[in-house]
Amino acid sequence: MGVMDDPLRRPSDAEVGAALQQNEVMGGPVRLPGGIALPVQIERVLGFGRSFSFWPLLFGLACCAIEMMALGGSRFDMARFGMEAMRASPRQADGMIVAGWCTIKMAPRVVRLYEQIPDPKWVLAMGSCAVSGNVWDTYHVVQGIDSLIPVDVYVPGCPPRPEALWQGLEMIRDRVKQSRHAYDGLRRIPAREVLLHGEPRP
Amino acid sequence: MSGTQDTQGLVPAAQALSRRPSLEELRERKDRTRRHLEPTGDVMTISMGPQHPSMHGVYRAVLDLDGEVILAVRPEIGNLHRGVEKLCEHRTYHQIIPLTDRLDYISGFAMNHGFCEAAEKLMGVEVPARGRYIRTMTHELCRISNHILWLGTSIMDLGTQTFFTICFRDREYVLDLFEMLTGARMTHSFARIGGVAKDLPDGFDHRCRKVIDFLPKRLAEYERIIKQNRIFLKRAKNVGIFTSEDCHAWRVTGPTLRAAGIARDLRKDEPYAAYPEVEFDVAVEYNADVYDRFLVRMKEMRESCKIIRQCLDKMPPGPFLAPDAAHSLPMKKNVLRDSAAMIQDFYQVFRGPQVPRGSVYRCVEAPKGEMGVYIRSEGGAKPARVRFSTPSFYHGQAVPALVEGEMVADMIAIFASVDVVLGDCDR
Amino acid sequence: MNEGLDTSLTVVLAKLEKRFGGRLRKQTECCGDLTITVEPEDWMRVLSFCRSARELAFDQLDCLLGDHLPERTGAPFEVVVHLLSHTHGHRLRVTTPLAEGQDLPTITGLWPSAGFDEREAWEMYGIVFAGHPDLRRLLTTEDFEGFPMRKDFPLRGTVGGRIRTDLRGKI
Repeated sequence: MGVMDDPLRRPSDAEVGAALQQNEVMGGPVRLPGGIALPVQIERVLGFGRSFSFWPLLFGLACCAIEMMALGGSRFDMARFGMEAMRASPRQADGMIVAGWCTIKMAPRVVRLYEQIPDPKWVLAMGSCAVSGNVWDTYHVVQGIDSLIPVDVYVPGCPPRPEALWQGLEMIRDRVKQSRHAYDGLRRIPAREVLLHGEPRP
Repeated sequence: MSGTQDTQGLVPAAQALSRRPSLEELRERKDRTRRHLEPTGDVMTISMGPQHPSMHGVYRAVLDLDGEVILAVRPEIGNLHRGVEKLCEHRTYHQIIPLTDRLDYISGFAMNHGFCEAAEKLMGVEVPARGRYIRTMTHELCRISNHILWLGTSIMDLGTQTFFTICFRDREYVLDLFEMLTGARMTHSFARIGGVAKDLPDGFDHRCRKVIDFLPKRLAEYERIIKQNRIFLKRAKNVGIFTSEDCHAWRVTGPTLRAAGIARDLRKDEPYAAYPEVEFDVAVEYNADVYDRFLVRMKEMRESCKIIRQCLDKMPPGPFLAPDAAHSLPMKKNVLRDSAAMIQDFYQVFRGPQVPRGSVYRCVEAPKGEMGVYIRSEGGAKPARVRFSTPSFYHGQAVPALVEGEMVADMIAIFASVDVVLGDCDR
Repeated sequence: MNEGLDTSLTVVLAKLEKRFGGRLRKQTECCGDLTITVEPEDWMRVLSFCRSARELAFDQLDCLLGDHLPERTGAPFEVVVHLLSHTHGHRLRVTTPLAEGQDLPTITGLWPSAGFDEREAWEMYGIVFAGHPDLRRLLTTEDFEGFPMRKDFPLRGTVGGRIRTDLRGKI
């Protein structure tokens, strides 16, 4: 199926509808009780609204979390974009910023936090450690968070400056406006794979 | 100077008031403020962390509660363990320096400094005077940025959201200085074996003095906000009393130990860098509670400003890196001009420093407490074993002793007051 | 051999020699640090003497760590303890060689701060501390296989650990 070729391409409505009928693809149009799918235009309006109140999960792993706090602090002031409300509970959040290295001890927890965030959700991998493992090529570090959960935006740096994170969040907002998610068109979410089979399939 | 001196020798007489409680009094107070409940059937076990807004990272504590009183705590760490010590065995000494400032990422330079002090002790490298002064100054800037961050987050844990933004406003000025000096805001691998990476940039002196001049005013502002805050006083006074003997038993060092009335500061007791040449007082308080730990850190920031000013005044001319071709990197600006420096650079980068056999242990006073580095070398460019005995590791271990018998809500205040950073704790 | 030592450390050494005599395996001095090597059988006796004797008074355990020296085939492991006295201000390093599978008595009774250190030494090197109240894995996952800090353990790759999938209700 063409949906699988390029995970960043927004699938056409026909494709999404077909896939939804087969219960294979995550995301897609908002569905009301009774199975009625909202038209894409209405979803765009919802996305526009969401993009001005994106609430990330208050979740920091390592050094990058300090820069994330700096972005929330007075000089960089994330509150200008409606993002200052960092929610500590994943149930209230719209997405997560994975800020720091993820160890194999922490991995199930990260996956669980991701799963507890209600759809639609966006993920930003902040810092080289979350992107690729950085220098920690050792026995206890997951080499890149995208082997566990689908990532929308990668922000490299060790740690990235608050401006870089800000740009990453702007890119997330673009995706929110367009209702694009990293899990669009994915048949399988790596996190579910981990929970079902033990490790993500290549 | 060695050993812990009597507190009376170091504290100005004006501060040595009669309110100073003795160890017995502190023990008695600790006993009085904590509840000693017999475990009944009604024990509720809750898990706090690793995703918890006031756990300062991914520390997990499993609490056994009777009502709101904590009966037992089982700490669980390791969520950020990444095998730094194993990685160090596969790196040359120069390559280890960038790993160290990701230990305690809030005070990165202190970690660089600790490792370099230990390696220099092992190699017998003498740091030139300018290098020592720049190190001292950067270390103190680091202490200021660490304490401001601590202040903002720990007061935020007690419910004051605005104070966090005030603290971050001033922390940015210190980070600007770091950026000017090292190029990085947080993880600046700035120390080198035998000195520091770069000389002071042009205009640094002026900007640094400006920051140092206004910071004490800001500190006074913080104190005005916090010291008269009834909520803070209620939540901090006589909460989490930890006497000096408890501190020794659990290896709790740094501000927590100094808040218990012990004037123990490695900068005075086992001096390194340029600390013997500058004048400063050791911040000591006597009530051993959360409030006094706050006071100690406020005093320390003032003392740091004093130290930085003296360093800038006395900054000696000359090289900032040791001219030790066997162990240290050359000054970068010479590498493309001088063939000897270029050879030294190639040699150090490709082969690494040639280190004698032996083992060494060196402690420095990091902002969070005493940070010890053990290096065992079997000769060659790579160490055979490196161990970082970082303060947060032991502070995280002491959390059960700190909070058992206290209320659950006070655990937040106490945990924040000992300043645990999980990257430092898990290594 | 002892020229480089502080006077207080000379006192420490003399005191230890007087008490234990030939039982001390060797004393070395490197960069001003005094190291005393003892037999594993004497571990507890020497350390409790260090804790309690008035001239020594080592009231703080600075760190305890394990070490692996594979070239020393008879006793490839080592436990190193750094002691600090707040009263006198001196430091001492005590080490003991250990064979594979040999136990060492725990010193958590002398210094409670040894608890995490001993757990770490156990999980990283497989050195068992007999009598430790809670000898579980500390930093790695509970089901980690192998002892990662041993020299023969590979640095890269998730060899010993795996991402737990059965922890849904427990994390």
